Amino acid sequence: MMMTTIHKRLQRNPAIKFCASLKITLTCLTLLFILTFWGTIDQVYNGLYLSQERFFHSFFFTFAGFIPFPGTQLVLWVLFINLICVALVRFVYAWDHLGITIIHAGLLLFFVAAYITFHNTKESQLTLMEKEGSNVSSAYHDWEVALWKEDGGVKDVYAYDTRGLRSGEKLDFSDYDLELTVNHYYPHSEAYSGGTGGILNASGIQALQPAPRQQAPEKNFPGLVATLAGLGPVLLYGGEDKPLKITHQSQDYFLQLRRKHSPMPFLLRLKDFKVEWHPHTQVARSYQSLVDVIVPDGSLQGPLGPFRLSGSREVLISMNKPLRYKDFTLYQASYAIDQWGRESSTLAVVKNSGRLLPYLASFTTVIGLVLHFLLMVFKAKLKH
Amino acid sequence: MRKKMIIVVCLLTLGCPLCFAKPICPLGGPVTQPRKVSSLDQFGAIAILSDGRVKPVDTYARTLLLQLSGKTSLNKESAVAWLARLLFAPATTFNDKVFIINNPETAFALGVTPDPKRRYSFTQLRTGFAKLAELARLADKIDAKKRSAVEEEVIRVYHNCLLYDRHTRVFYFALPSAEFQIADTDIVKALDLPPQQTLFSFYDLASRADLLRQQTKSLELNRPEDWSFKEKELFRLMNNLYHWSISYRDLPFQIIPAPLAFSEQWLSPMDAISRAFADPQVREEIALVRTMVVSYWNGEEMLFDFAIRSFSNSIINRVAGAMRRNISTIPFELFYNQANLFGWARVLYAMALGIFLFSFLAARQKRLRPVALALIVAGLFYHVVAIALRIIIMGRPPVSNLYETFIFVGMVTVLAGITIELVNRRWVGISVAGVCGFVFLTIAGKFAAEGDTLRMLVAVLNSNFWLGTHVLSITAGYSGVCVAGLVGHLYILQCIRYPKDKIALKSTYHNMIGALGFGLIMSFLGTTLGGIWADQSWGRFWGWDPKENGALLIILWCAIIFHARIGRFIGPLGVAVGSVLGIVVVMWAWFGVNLLSVGLHSYGFTSGVATGLMMYVAGEVLFLTIGVSIARRNNIKLSQS
Repeated sequence: MMMTTIHKRLQRNPAIKFCASLKITLTCLTLLFILTFWGTIDQVYNGLYLSQERFFHSFFFTFAGFIPFPGTQLVLWVLFINLICVALVRFVYAWDHLGITIIHAGLLLFFVAAYITFHNTKESQLTLMEKEGSNVSSAYHDWEVALWKEDGGVKDVYAYDTRGLRSGEKLDFSDYDLELTVNHYYPHSEAYSGGTGGILNASGIQALQPAPRQQAPEKNFPGLVATLAGLGPVLLYGGEDKPLKITHQSQDYFLQLRRKHSPMPFLLRLKDFKVEWHPHTQVARSYQSLVDVIVPDGSLQGPLGPFRLSGSREVLISMNKPLRYKDFTLYQASYAIDQWGRESSTLAVVKNSGRLLPYLASFTTVIGLVLHFLLMVFKAKLKH
Repeated sequence: MRKKMIIVVCLLTLGCPLCFAKPICPLGGPVTQPRKVSSLDQFGAIAILSDGRVKPVDTYARTLLLQLSGKTSLNKESAVAWLARLLFAPATTFNDKVFIINNPETAFALGVTPDPKRRYSFTQLRTGFAKLAELARLADKIDAKKRSAVEEEVIRVYHNCLLYDRHTRVFYFALPSAEFQIADTDIVKALDLPPQQTLFSFYDLASRADLLRQQTKSLELNRPEDWSFKEKELFRLMNNLYHWSISYRDLPFQIIPAPLAFSEQWLSPMDAISRAFADPQVREEIALVRTMVVSYWNGEEMLFDFAIRSFSNSIINRVAGAMRRNISTIPFELFYNQANLFGWARVLYAMALGIFLFSFLAARQKRLRPVALALIVAGLFYHVVAIALRIIIMGRPPVSNLYETFIFVGMVTVLAGITIELVNRRWVGISVAGVCGFVFLTIAGKFAAEGDTLRMLVAVLNSNFWLGTHVLSITAGYSGVCVAGLVGHLYILQCIRYPKDKIALKSTYHNMIGALGFGLIMSFLGTTLGGIWADQSWGRFWGWDPKENGALLIILWCAIIFHARIGRFIGPLGVAVGSVLGIVVVMWAWFGVNLLSVGLHSYGFTSGVATGLMMYVAGEVLFLTIGVSIARRNNIKLSQS
């Protein structure tokens, strides 16, 4: 009785009534259709990463220079609100509408899953040569300014994320009694060895120029010109392999602009990488990385705590068969053979705490669709 | 009466193609009791490793001839018979017009008079081969995307000429050659060769390499200028053996498995002599191949068959694992090749469609319906058997490339058509099944012209579970939306022709909604299963990849139609228009996105269908413009509001 009263009151609420409009649903679905089509075509010209940013990760974007168009994020938010309002005031909660109700409950779960995945998933990669091990993966697109000292083979690293870095910003490494003041930060830059000199750099780079954003995000290298208190100007470039070595108070420190590193709660060692081909073809049949997974135990110190280098277990990572460890999943992504014939394997590392949500949403929606279809058939039979 | 008619038509249509199919001749039978079969049938059943899989020579021959000439037979001569001539007696094929040159400009550039049938012989092309090689070298330097049609054609023809030429050398090792002529009877005797003969083959001498080596020991002791005539002859023979083994290496026609158990490599006979002659079984197999060549030449059919059977038995006993399983499916593949079940299915669908069209003229059209339905059922039977054979041959689910999507979608649409017909009983299902079956198998036939359709899987697709769930459900989704679109066409035509037959219109409308609902469910299921597969393989459920976006477009389009219908923004005619346009969306998702050549689904890329797709879209827009305007004139509205 009380539920019915609330339901009726909600139905009379003009704001909810407006938000539950089927016209809004149709408009959003049509906009999504347009955005999906447009974003697909755009990938030919701008690549997947830029198209994703523009069409699918944005609230608004402009085309033809100045005309605004809603992005997928905005459309999905409106659709989410619309769906909630529809669920509150328009849905008929009866057995013959059970399929419809379950379908839309599944779709609501999809929205939640999309939100959690979009905001919580961390993607990175780990490249290992055979016989090499690591417990640190590096990001695809995110960068950091890292400062460390080496003490008996153990690195003690402090790092700042470069997202939103601005001129004049101070990066405080007070534990080492060092401070870095940002003069210029270019998210996409080109490095030049010419210039007046006097800037500290590990590879002889003396100048940076902002560069246009490349289609492939891995081809974008940021650059940073900063002043290190007491030591003078320094230049860091993302394309450098070597860190800048500086000496302060008789202690050597290393400074580098590098892809953001993420520690993993286990150590991975590549024992063997194997690629198999279909005979007499250039078609690969399988890629396999045989790795040792070494879990924390107590005898060695790592970034996330102690490690023991014995008692490992072997895991074979291949296409469609990733390694799962807590929230981490490692997939076979690519491989390379260097000029000396040594093989290396690159594993995609994904940390996603909401990984199972899309599975649940998919299952719910499909159950709803099938149920609705069966109910329709049943109702048609009853009519006859 | 009607039931009897269905049974009679079914029996007739089922029996006809089986009469044309040749009996299965299983491999591995006892050698001592060879069956009385045509020699070339036995030859066609030999296992060969090509394009990553073990297949019968019959398939290999069809694929090769298709690649060269665009046909699977030559002037009524079967592909395998032609291949046998090419391998055993190459000179007899020099005047066969097997090289297709689609572009007359290319033929002209090669100094050949353009032929209206666009096919040329090796003799015709041989005179301009130097020019062809030069043009191909220049064209090869140009970026593939920037090449003109002529340049593409030059490269293709050049590679085909090389391929043909390499095939002519496959059995040279067994044929007598002037380079192995021995005039000195002492040498003949020393090498244990037939004394009455002077002309020998590479094989004759290679198989007596130990004796030859013993004879040539003295060469090292003396200076070349002091060598006797016999020593010079021995040196010449050794030298020629060495040059042949270098010149004729890496030839095609790999029919001899490498002897090492862990190796998956197969070798051509010449390579087997160079690399694995020490292995006694390989030696025996090469001897049998040599017997094949000799008996082919001598017209000794029994000996030819016997050698092939012995050879095949030896191979079967030597290989293990997946290769052995592949060899065991060869009889199925031979049957699949020879029965041409898809061809028969297509004919039956076309006949059913013809009867449907004829029914407009016939007075007693009700009697024709069961006949048409029986034809469709018989066509479906062949369709299903052919797909089942493909599953058995490849040991995996039936859809893994674009060709297979067409045959599978064709089968599901025909099945849906039969279901509709059983419910509706108004020709709607027959016309849907007839059109879809015929059209999809015809399109599949175009893709089949590109070569062997039974292809190996790339690493990411190497999962029978996901191929059997995601791919099948997504293609079933395509089928549902295509059927809805076709029923939408019929609905619009009914609105034009029979606007007052409300019962028929309502029935067709319900069929359309049902098919669209099925399409939506299967597309959604397929897309989410694809998401889960992507999560398992690439680490993310959704990545806005073009192929994923294509599937999403189908779901969104169906959702738009259903929501617009619920909100009464569109009526049955509007749903019909939406369903017709749904086919365009499916075409885009199915192979339109492949034209973009971007994204992770690169194994599905294709080219050359853009024009066809554009013409199809233009045709649909024209149909809808005319159809809807006439329907509205008949007082049928797009919307219900």
